[in-house]
Amino acid sequence: MARVNDPELTKARLHLVVEEMYDRIVKGEPPTMTLPVRTKNNIGFDKKLGVYKYGKKRSTRDATSLGSAKNLLRALHVVEFIEEMIEAGKSSTLREMYYISESWGLGKFGSQNESNNLAEDLEVVTTCLREDFKLRPEEDGARMIGNVTIEELNRRGQWMTINARDDVGDSGYGVPYNVEIEKIRLKEHDVNFLMAIETGGMFDRLVENGFDEEYNCGLIHLKGQPARSTRRIMKRMNEEWDLPVIVFLDGDPWSFRIFASIAYGAIKTAHISEYLATPSASYLGITADDILAYDLPSDELSKKDIEALNAELSDPRFADGWWQDQINMMLEIGKKAEQQSLAKYGLDFVTDTYLPEKLGEMGLA
Amino acid sequence: MVIRVAGIADKMAKNQKQIAISEFFEKNKHFLGFDSLQRSVITAVKEAVDNSLDACEEARILPEIKVKISKIDSKKDILELQTEDNGPGIPQKSIEKVFGQLLFGSRFHAIRQSRGQQGIGITGVVMYSQLTTGKPTHVLSKVASDPTAVSVNIGLDTRKNKAVKSDQTRIIWENDDQTMKEHGLRVTTRMKAKYQRGRQSVFQYLRMTSIVNPHAEITFTDPDGETFHWPRVTERLPAKVDAIKPHPHGIELGQLQRMCRESSDSRMTVFLRQNFSGVSMRAAKELCEAAELEITTKPKSLKPDDVRALLEAFQGEREVNGKAIKLLSPPTNCLSPIEEMLIKKGLSKTIDSKFVATMTRAPTVSHGNPFQVEVGLIFGEGMVADKHVELLRFANRVPLMYQQGGCLLTKAIESVDWRQYGLEQAGGKGVPKGPAAILVHLASTNVQFTSEAKEALSDNEFVFEETRRAMLEMGRGLRKHLEKKKKMAKTREKFELINDILPAIAEKSASILERPVPDLAGSITKIMSAVICNESTTWNKETKQVDVSITLFNYTSRSRSYSLLVNWPEKSGGEMVENERGGRKEAMGIWGWKIETLEPGEKAVLEYSLSNLEKGDWTETEVFFRGSQDVIGATKLDEKMLVEIRKQEEILNQSEAPAEEGDANVTYEPGVVEGDSGQTTLFGGEN
Repeated sequence: MARVNDPELTKARLHLVVEEMYDRIVKGEPPTMTLPVRTKNNIGFDKKLGVYKYGKKRSTRDATSLGSAKNLLRALHVVEFIEEMIEAGKSSTLREMYYISESWGLGKFGSQNESNNLAEDLEVVTTCLREDFKLRPEEDGARMIGNVTIEELNRRGQWMTINARDDVGDSGYGVPYNVEIEKIRLKEHDVNFLMAIETGGMFDRLVENGFDEEYNCGLIHLKGQPARSTRRIMKRMNEEWDLPVIVFLDGDPWSFRIFASIAYGAIKTAHISEYLATPSASYLGITADDILAYDLPSDELSKKDIEALNAELSDPRFADGWWQDQINMMLEIGKKAEQQSLAKYGLDFVTDTYLPEKLGEMGLA
Repeated sequence: MVIRVAGIADKMAKNQKQIAISEFFEKNKHFLGFDSLQRSVITAVKEAVDNSLDACEEARILPEIKVKISKIDSKKDILELQTEDNGPGIPQKSIEKVFGQLLFGSRFHAIRQSRGQQGIGITGVVMYSQLTTGKPTHVLSKVASDPTAVSVNIGLDTRKNKAVKSDQTRIIWENDDQTMKEHGLRVTTRMKAKYQRGRQSVFQYLRMTSIVNPHAEITFTDPDGETFHWPRVTERLPAKVDAIKPHPHGIELGQLQRMCRESSDSRMTVFLRQNFSGVSMRAAKELCEAAELEITTKPKSLKPDDVRALLEAFQGEREVNGKAIKLLSPPTNCLSPIEEMLIKKGLSKTIDSKFVATMTRAPTVSHGNPFQVEVGLIFGEGMVADKHVELLRFANRVPLMYQQGGCLLTKAIESVDWRQYGLEQAGGKGVPKGPAAILVHLASTNVQFTSEAKEALSDNEFVFEETRRAMLEMGRGLRKHLEKKKKMAKTREKFELINDILPAIAEKSASILERPVPDLAGSITKIMSAVICNESTTWNKETKQVDVSITLFNYTSRSRSYSLLVNWPEKSGGEMVENERGGRKEAMGIWGWKIETLEPGEKAVLEYSLSNLEKGDWTETEVFFRGSQDVIGATKLDEKMLVEIRKQEEILNQSEAPAEEGDANVTYEPGVVEGDSGQTTLFGGEN
């Protein structure tokens, strides 16, 4: 799978989807759309790429029920819409497409979730990226602070040089939705590693304490489950500059999932894992060990937390021994803890004690 | 002095009598229906309205009844009740009797179904009014033969317990539109009473009355001046019922003694044959033999022991040659059921809903008393879903509003496990919950109540069983309806798929690829891969007919052949017209057509209309099929059930023929409900 960046090829691939439906009708069969199964049961480790990708299981969406028939009709409307945008040189957000579908009659979307899923379906089937489809996400890109210099093509078509330490305010450099080469060039840097941080509170704490300068690193605020562009820019910096990526999250089952999507690829976007995942990323904390070792203030695991942990035990991305131990330990102690629980020992504890100790274990400090 | 003393004595005597009447009321107010201020006004309305309906029915007039209640003095709880009808009116000379005597009238002796069995009569209202307000009741009455109406105040002479007339005049009675009132009665009376709303209210009483009297037009104005109107939904008056003679199985000793005493017949056989129903010549002779009485004995001369012996013979305790004496069933034409169609209309008019099922069981006999059970079930989204269903109980067209829990009809409803029919019911017992109302009507010549209050029917296994069976049938109908609704929704989806979505997919894909729009027939067959039946039953405003259209689609890859059958309201007088495909009658209310070959992708359309019906009479047609491949939207015909329906039809035809007296074949055992009342339907048997 590769970034196409070729309008004619994108159109041709989309036409294959349409042809499948058309040919089935001509044969006197119900129209269908065949696509890989997008669940954890159908992802496997790709040794060549070092990330998790969809396996061979395929499902057929056929027009024998009203629901899937409507889905096929919507797919056709989306294809038509993409072609129109490609020809007109426009782009739209996924949300805009959802509203535009109001005029699609029987093919209109019931919710935005449906339109997002369908856009992903088409990516998966055509092996194109949504950027090829001229569809933009609504999602918020990350913030970044540190001695990293990039060039970004602005609206006026000029390349701007931005240093993410000297040319930005306290909120840092905002990562745009498109971080591909035609939009972002990585120029130079003077950092030893990148640290991805889950919460805004912790990001701001490290910025205020000057952690990026003291430890010579780039700080990236993930804003929860990271957007594609966030994962993509980390991946590029990791590959092009050979920078280690350290991931610092809350200590709960949902954070484990965030890490998996950064390091191994997310289930929903397994078709483009090799673009988004950074296999060498390491998980710094909070670990189940940390909750005990630092005696952190913690919360009881909820029923949903426990379900999520149990699901992770059978998730191929968490199959290795270290993760199995961490998950089992968390289930055993029945506790979870937030990053900011480190403040129990004072505002500087995280930068003076916790992070140096953990980075030391990783050989980075 | 002497004079004064005498005056006081007179007064005291008067007072004593006054006290006696008050005491009579006080002691009996429970069964008189005046035991609370709230109930008193309901009872008064009930007495007046029942009289009006009975009078109209007897005179064969379509009733128009107006009821108005106004507050006169809120502090003292004084209300004024005015009821007006368009009945025959009461002749001037009878007014005193009707309004001033307790238990006036002949209906207590005649054996037939009537409303007035229940209650003290309008005299009670006059009495209550006088006792609580001291005021007389005003009566305005016009009979058709007189040019003017009589206006008179009726009070009660509490000493002599008879009516006292005052201010009697004759006036011209005009309607609101200044036309002359042809005939009718208006009663205006004041009483101490409280008006309330809710389950037990004048409103509810009139609403229920209008359900079981669909031929009546009822208007009600409440004390706030709000007017409610329940329109007439049929021009058909209830069938005129004949009075019947008592049946030997249903008679009691006292009544038999009285009948003997008052008889002027010369011989026992004549007495038995002419005063009782169900007694043939042979039976009369056998009864005498069993009771050891001479045929020639004069009934008047019977001794108490003789009467007792006769009663024992009646009840089968005495036999002839070791065999019970065979008696004929009493005739059942003394009953006036509301009938399925009219219950349906009555229910539909007061409750807005989608599904109404009704059933009138065949008349049957318990202990010599003919009775008949009718039920109705209405179900729909418009009603409250999380409350107990509303129970509407009636005896001889009179609403029963109190003592629901102790009533036989309630018990019969509670005995059904409604969960299997789609209603909620905790533990499968008790009154079910759901958006539904259940109606039960018992028509009988002898309604047995648990108490003098006459609000709950006492236990009777035959009535219970009849009611229960009818409920089960209703339940099956409801389940069928719900299943059908589900299936219809699925079928509708499939049709949307092939009629709208699939063509859109074909067109859109063709336009994107710039190729011709492909033919859809093959895909449609593969998607549906079934035979589908679509039924529509609609009221045609212009022709005043019900138009039925049934379409059978063959969406399979082979050609098919079927017989399609439908139910239609033949029993209720509907006529099938414009049925161009012909077909044939398969049984009472069941019509069938043969569809020889239906090629893949083809459809067959059956169309016909039903005339002689009114709007709302027939809203859903059930389609059955004979054939190997299942049909979505139709039910596979159960042949056994069809045979059963044909059998019942035969029985019905036989019983409709006038019964020959002395026909010893049509006999029955005392207290046994005959057969299954002939009531199987295609919904299934008694399972």
